[in-house]
Amino acid sequence: MIYAVVDAQTLADAVGLGAVYALMAVGIGLVFGVLRLVNFAYGQLIMAGAYTLAFTSHWRVGWSIAACVVVVVALSLVMDRVVFRPLRGSSPAVMLVATFAIAFMLQAIALLVDIRDNTIGEIATSIAPLNQPTTVHGVEVRKITIVAVIVAAVALALLALLLTRTTIGLHMRAAATDFGTARLLGVQANRVIGFAVVLSGILAAIVSVILTVQFPFVGPDFALRDTIVVLVGVVVGGIDRLWTATLGGFSIGFATGVINGALPTEQTVFLPSAVFALVILVLLLRPAGLFAWGRGPVERV
Amino acid sequence: MTDAPALSVRNLEVRYGAVPAVRNVSLDVARGEIVGLIGPNGAGKSTTLHAIMGLVPAREGDVTVAGASVLGKAPEWIARRGVALVPEGRRIYPDFTVEENLRLGLAGLRTTRSNRSLTGAYELFPVLHDFRRRHAGLLSGGQQQQLAIARALVAQPDVLLLDEPSLGLAPSLVDSVFETLAKIRDGGFAVLLVEQRAQRTVALANRTHVLSNGELRLTLGPEDAGDTEKMVSAYLGG
Amino acid sequence: MRRYLDPLVQVLAPAVLVVAVGIWSTLVSSSNEIYFLNALVSVAIVVAIYVFIGNSGVLSFGQISFVAVGAFVAGIMTIPLESKTGVLPQLFPVLRDHTVGNLVSLLLAAGAGGLFAFAVGLPLMRLSGLAAGIATFAVLEVTHNILREWTKIGPGATTLSLVPETTDALQATLGALVVIGLAFLYQRSRLGRRLRASREDPAAARGVGVNVHRERLWAFTASGALAGFAGGLLVHLLGSITTEQVYLELTFVTLAMLVIGGLTSLWGAVVGALVVSGLDSFLTEAEQGVHVGFSIDLPQGTRLIFLGAIMAVVVIVRPSGLTGGREFRLVR
Repeated sequence: MIYAVVDAQTLADAVGLGAVYALMAVGIGLVFGVLRLVNFAYGQLIMAGAYTLAFTSHWRVGWSIAACVVVVVALSLVMDRVVFRPLRGSSPAVMLVATFAIAFMLQAIALLVDIRDNTIGEIATSIAPLNQPTTVHGVEVRKITIVAVIVAAVALALLALLLTRTTIGLHMRAAATDFGTARLLGVQANRVIGFAVVLSGILAAIVSVILTVQFPFVGPDFALRDTIVVLVGVVVGGIDRLWTATLGGFSIGFATGVINGALPTEQTVFLPSAVFALVILVLLLRPAGLFAWGRGPVERV
Repeated sequence: MTDAPALSVRNLEVRYGAVPAVRNVSLDVARGEIVGLIGPNGAGKSTTLHAIMGLVPAREGDVTVAGASVLGKAPEWIARRGVALVPEGRRIYPDFTVEENLRLGLAGLRTTRSNRSLTGAYELFPVLHDFRRRHAGLLSGGQQQQLAIARALVAQPDVLLLDEPSLGLAPSLVDSVFETLAKIRDGGFAVLLVEQRAQRTVALANRTHVLSNGELRLTLGPEDAGDTEKMVSAYLGG
Repeated sequence: MRRYLDPLVQVLAPAVLVVAVGIWSTLVSSSNEIYFLNALVSVAIVVAIYVFIGNSGVLSFGQISFVAVGAFVAGIMTIPLESKTGVLPQLFPVLRDHTVGNLVSLLLAAGAGGLFAFAVGLPLMRLSGLAAGIATFAVLEVTHNILREWTKIGPGATTLSLVPETTDALQATLGALVVIGLAFLYQRSRLGRRLRASREDPAAARGVGVNVHRERLWAFTASGALAGFAGGLLVHLLGSITTEQVYLELTFVTLAMLVIGGLTSLWGAVVGALVVSGLDSFLTEAEQGVHVGFSIDLPQGTRLIFLGAIMAVVVIVRPSGLTGGREFRLVR
């Protein structure tokens, strides 16, 4: 018999993880919306941010975070210019393979940079105090969990406002729905794509800050596992729309958090199999996504 | 201010692979006039509009807007040079509101024009104002056509291209579309109208070109609208 | 005459290359021989993967699962009986108390791979595009997880060793040739042609009565069997195997080989596997310091960078790969 304990601490951690995964899902979904491209290398953006935080550990916290944002956004823009732009209009298989290759390449570059001091891994410690627990309503919760949830909520709210109330947001939504028509109305493709890429980069930077608090040890495979899980969650949720992708990311994060916290370790060895078997089942029943309705992905014009 | 016509097409050739869809097409459209483009299915009428708009590449020829060449430019660039296309099938965004669809049209507004206003569109099509917060997908076919035209007009273009605006509409709605086009002409726009309804187009337009198999066969004036024999031979001949 | 010459040339070209590599491997030092044999086994793996991906156009990240299954089946069944009970006491009796020979193990590997592929493909072949990619990736994850944790069917997280190293130049060459031959027969058959029709235009293919789901299932099963066979070759080359060796990195490398060579042709699969293997071997040597007129000494881990960079460049600049995705043709 599996004896599961789901206490308030586990729930809180699960919500925190869900929040982080939701942010990652949005980052992936934004770029997919305008480019119809799944960026396998998204995790490497987070990794780059984490390394930046590690290398600037001795700086003041604010500057360290600023450096992180700059590096990640710059890397995103370079990725767009060098890899995404030449691939626009290619088949999904080609795009998948290209970002897959970039992901491996960046990971290997990180290894090269990291290993110069003869050890793998750097430590990012500037905001470590946030990993301490605090008590809320009699429940012990880590401060970073609260921060993660608040930051995610605020970020998502701001993004929703941006998308629905601003002109550039309108253009991005139009581009994600039907890029061809948007262009003939005058919507500038490069500007919209660049904006989506920058937003996606900012979100990656935020995620790397939050994750380094919980996992200060940064290696070339930082957030690799998480990215794979989020990608699965996004496709299962429904990559075609931003809100279904976000919901998918949050759900898989929450579910992972609950299961990891509730089940004792000996029984979790086969957890990946159970989760992925479930993923296959969902994809078979609803290929367009769990939360999507009816039609599959829209073809780009 | 230039004397050149608002839109000028010279010796346009467009190919799909090895097959020429449009061959040696030349036409002019001046401000305040409607030029019709009619012909059988597959004649290359839509292709001509798409080539002007930069949606398909032209193999040869030139397209100038107020004297400046726009050949080979991106569609969004051409849109912001004062050319607006009302595409076949309207291509509105059904999940966006009417107002959002119109605001999208503002993307084509040239930066020199600071009047980012939808009031003109609402005056021309009052029903759009009534439904401005509704999802565009809920509108009827005729209303969606009005939306598509209004969306093109809010960008205050000099040249308006329309691809079969009366397609799929009931006869009474077709009347209203053609009336709207007359009003647009009075407003000083240069209009290039591709249509299936040959007779009505010939009657409305200042002149109408007949396109068949990718080539211009004949030019008709409004006085030819009643001459059925001429119309039929234009379509079938050559 | 031309009708028979062209297909003959198409299958002979990769075969000649493979045989050439096999012969070359016997002429070099024993420390270098491993690179050549590795290249030949890579050819087998990549061609097996190509049989599905190249013909169907559906990207699968899970084909290495079948290599894994084949490798472990062939490995476990050929460990000498005396050692097996000592090293792997928790195995199911049917696995623990029997041992087979080299050839049988390869057939078992192919059978296991094919069976597993059929079972997995039955539900999965309905999917395309992104959903298929994620679903097949999930298969890879499940296979890896089970092989790693279930000690009744294998060594789990520890290395499976004491496997007889029966893949020498002859076995590697013959093995690669068998895979190439079968892949070629498949793509020339009606089954293969129907599937290729659906790759170009699924709707049109359905329109002329092609059951896309069934055709993909055949290809997937064949691919699984060939991959299992290649896994058997692999484990007999290395003499050991771990779950990590048949997981993400091998998936990436073999996919890279196929893409760089050309996704849609047998020639592309073979060329890609050999070229990238050659490059990979050179880079591995360079990581330890090599002399090519001048000295090259690359830091550890560089080979993956280069591989990733080359793969990315090829995909961007020449998406159809080195061979243009076409079979070999004699230029007149």
